[in-house]
Amino acid sequence: MKKFIAIVGTNAKKSTNRTLLQYMKKRYAASAEIEIVEVAGLPLFKKTKEMLVPQYAKEIAQKIDVADGVIIGTPEYDHSIPAILSSALAWLSYGMHPLLDKPVMITGASYGALGASRAQAQLRQILDSPEIKARIMPSSEFLLGNSLKAFDEDGNLNDQEQSEQLDGLFKDFLLFTDISNQLNHANVTNEKEMNNFSWDEGSSRREEEK
Amino acid sequence: MRLVAIAGSIGEQSYNRMLLQFMADYYKDLVQIDLVDIDDVPVFNEDDDLSNSEAVQKVYQKVFGADGVILATPEHNHTVPAAMKNVIEWLSYKLHPLDGKPVWVVGASYFNQGSSRAQLHLKQILESPGVNAIVMPGNEFLLRNAKEAFDDNGQLKDEGTVKFLDSIIQKFIKFVKVIDMLDAPDPKTYKDEDLESKGKVNTTIEGVDMNDEHWVEKAAEKVHAVEGGTYVKLDRGLLTVDQLNYFLKTMPVELTFADDNNQFIYYNKSLPTEKMLAPRRPGQAGDPLGSVHPGRAVDHVKQVIHALRTGESDLVSMPVPGNGPDRHIMHYYKAMHDENGRYRGVNEWVVDIMPIIKYYLAVTGKKLVDDPTATPISPITGVDVTSGASAKAPETDATSGASEEPQSEPKQPEVDTTSGASEEPKPEPKKPEVDATSGASEN
Repeated sequence: MKKFIAIVGTNAKKSTNRTLLQYMKKRYAASAEIEIVEVAGLPLFKKTKEMLVPQYAKEIAQKIDVADGVIIGTPEYDHSIPAILSSALAWLSYGMHPLLDKPVMITGASYGALGASRAQAQLRQILDSPEIKARIMPSSEFLLGNSLKAFDEDGNLNDQEQSEQLDGLFKDFLLFTDISNQLNHANVTNEKEMNNFSWDEGSSRREEEK
Repeated sequence: MRLVAIAGSIGEQSYNRMLLQFMADYYKDLVQIDLVDIDDVPVFNEDDDLSNSEAVQKVYQKVFGADGVILATPEHNHTVPAAMKNVIEWLSYKLHPLDGKPVWVVGASYFNQGSSRAQLHLKQILESPGVNAIVMPGNEFLLRNAKEAFDDNGQLKDEGTVKFLDSIIQKFIKFVKVIDMLDAPDPKTYKDEDLESKGKVNTTIEGVDMNDEHWVEKAAEKVHAVEGGTYVKLDRGLLTVDQLNYFLKTMPVELTFADDNNQFIYYNKSLPTEKMLAPRRPGQAGDPLGSVHPGRAVDHVKQVIHALRTGESDLVSMPVPGNGPDRHIMHYYKAMHDENGRYRGVNEWVVDIMPIIKYYLAVTGKKLVDDPTATPISPITGVDVTSGASAKAPETDATSGASEEPQSEPKQPEVDTTSGASEEPKPEPKKPEVDATSGASEN
C-alpha cells in the first residue's frame, strides 16, 4: 500500500484545508496510508553560516523521504501560499532535498469562491524551483471554493461532483506515483546536481550560467 | 518625501539590504529613505494575533507614515522569502498600512535571474485585496550577480547600473506624487463636499467613531501617538510635544485644523470653551465638520472649503457680524497644501482685530473715518464685488452658533448675540511700549 504525507499548509487551528486532508485520509484508507503533517511550530526560514535546520523540519523531511508521495493542502493568503508553508518548503530544501523527484498532489480550499487558485499556481512554480524539483502531478487542480459549507457534520464532502472529481484525481495520483518511479533516467544526475546546489550561488551549474 | 525600504530576507548577509543601503546614501539629497528591519517580526498565525506587538507595530508605523515603499526581494525557491511574505501577512490582517501605498519592487540575487520570479510573485501578493498596494508597473530592477556588484564601500560598481537606477527612482518619485493625488478627495462642486467625512484620506484614523467624545484618546491609542517629552521633527526645528503645545496654546488666535476629509481634528484649546470667540468643546475634536455646524450653515461651509480645495481662493476672510463697534471678530480660513501641492485641509484662525486696529491708531495718532467710495469685497476671493454679487457670501463659522444671517456688508456689523464673551480684553493704547528694534516706532 502506498504511503503519503499530507502537509497542512497553515498554522491556523481551524482550517478547511486540514478538514479536506482528513477527509482524504479516511476516504482513501483502503488504497493508501495518509499521514497528516503540520507545519505549525516551524520557525521562519533563515539562512545561517552553519546551515542550521530546525529539528522538526528534519523530522518532516525523514517522513517525506520514506513516503511514496506528498499531498499539500494550501489556503490562499494575499494571492499566495501562507508564509508558514513557504517557510516549511524553504527548510525542506536547505541542505537536504526530500522533495526531489517526489510525486506531489496539490489541493486547495478557500472560504471564497476561487479555491486558492492563485496560491496553487504559485505553489507549482515553487515546487518546480531548482532547490526543490518535485514532480507535481500535471493538469490536476483541485479547487474547493466556499469551503466552510463544503463539509457535512462527519467531515464528508457535501457535493457529489466534487467528491467524484477528488476520487478521480486521487486515483490518478496513485498511478502518477507509479509512473514517476519509472521516470528515473535523470534521477542520478538530479541527485548529483542537488548535492552540488549552493544557496549562495542559486544554482549548481555555475559554469553554464555564466 | 519620505520612503521606507524593506529588505526581504533575514539573518544573513543580504545583498538586498546592501542595495537599499546604497540607495539611501546615494539618493539622500533627492529623497529620504529609511531602512526598516523585519528580523524580529513573529510568525504569522491567525489564532495568535500579534498585530499590536512591538515588532509588528514598528514596521506598521514606519510603512503607514511613509509616502512610498521600496521592497527589495531575493529569490528563494522561485518565490519571495517566507520572512517577507510573513510581514505582508501581518500588514494585511488587522492592519492595512499598504492600502493605496505606492510600492516599488526591486531585487538582488546571486545568480543571473536576478530575482525575476520572486518579483512577479511579490507583485501579485501586493495587488491582492487584503494588501491593496499600488505597485509601480514596469521599471523592473534586477541586480544579478550581486556578489560582484558592490565595491568594498558598498557602492554599486557598474556605472550603467547606477544610471538605470537613477532613471527609475526619478520615475518612482513622480509615481508617488501621482498616486498621492488618487487619494485626494475630488468633489466636483461645492455641493459634493462631504461634511460627514464618510470617505477617507491617508491620514484618516479608522476604527474610531469620529463623533466619540473621547475620539482624541481613542484615536491616539490606535496609532500609538507620541506625547509629552517626545521630540517631533518639524520644518524647521525640533520640539517636544509639550513644547509644541505651549507654543500653539499661546498663539494670539483660536486655531482649528480640519483635514481634507473635512474632519475637525484639532483646536489649540487656549481658552475655556465659554471664553472663546468661537466656542469649541474638547469632545468635538474628531467630529466631521457637519457635526460641528448647524444645518443652516452647511451650504456656506461647503462653499468655503470647496474654494480652498480647488484653489479658487487661498484665504477666505469672514467677519462675524453683530459684535458692536469695539470688536471686529474675524474668521480666517487658509488652504493647507503638502509639498506636492495637494490640498490637505483648512487652517482656521479666529481673532478679534479691533485691539490691533486700536493699537495702531493710538501709536500712529490716526483715526477711522467713513469712506463713501468703499466697495464691498468678496470674503472668498478678496476682490471687489458688485453689490448684487455678494448676496450669497458664505456664513462665518457656525460652531460658535454665531451669525444668524449671511453677511455681505462687513462694514455694518449688527449688534448681536454670538459671543457671550463680553469681557473682552481692552487694548491699552495709552501706554504702547515702543520697541525700536521691532520697527514699530517709525512714526
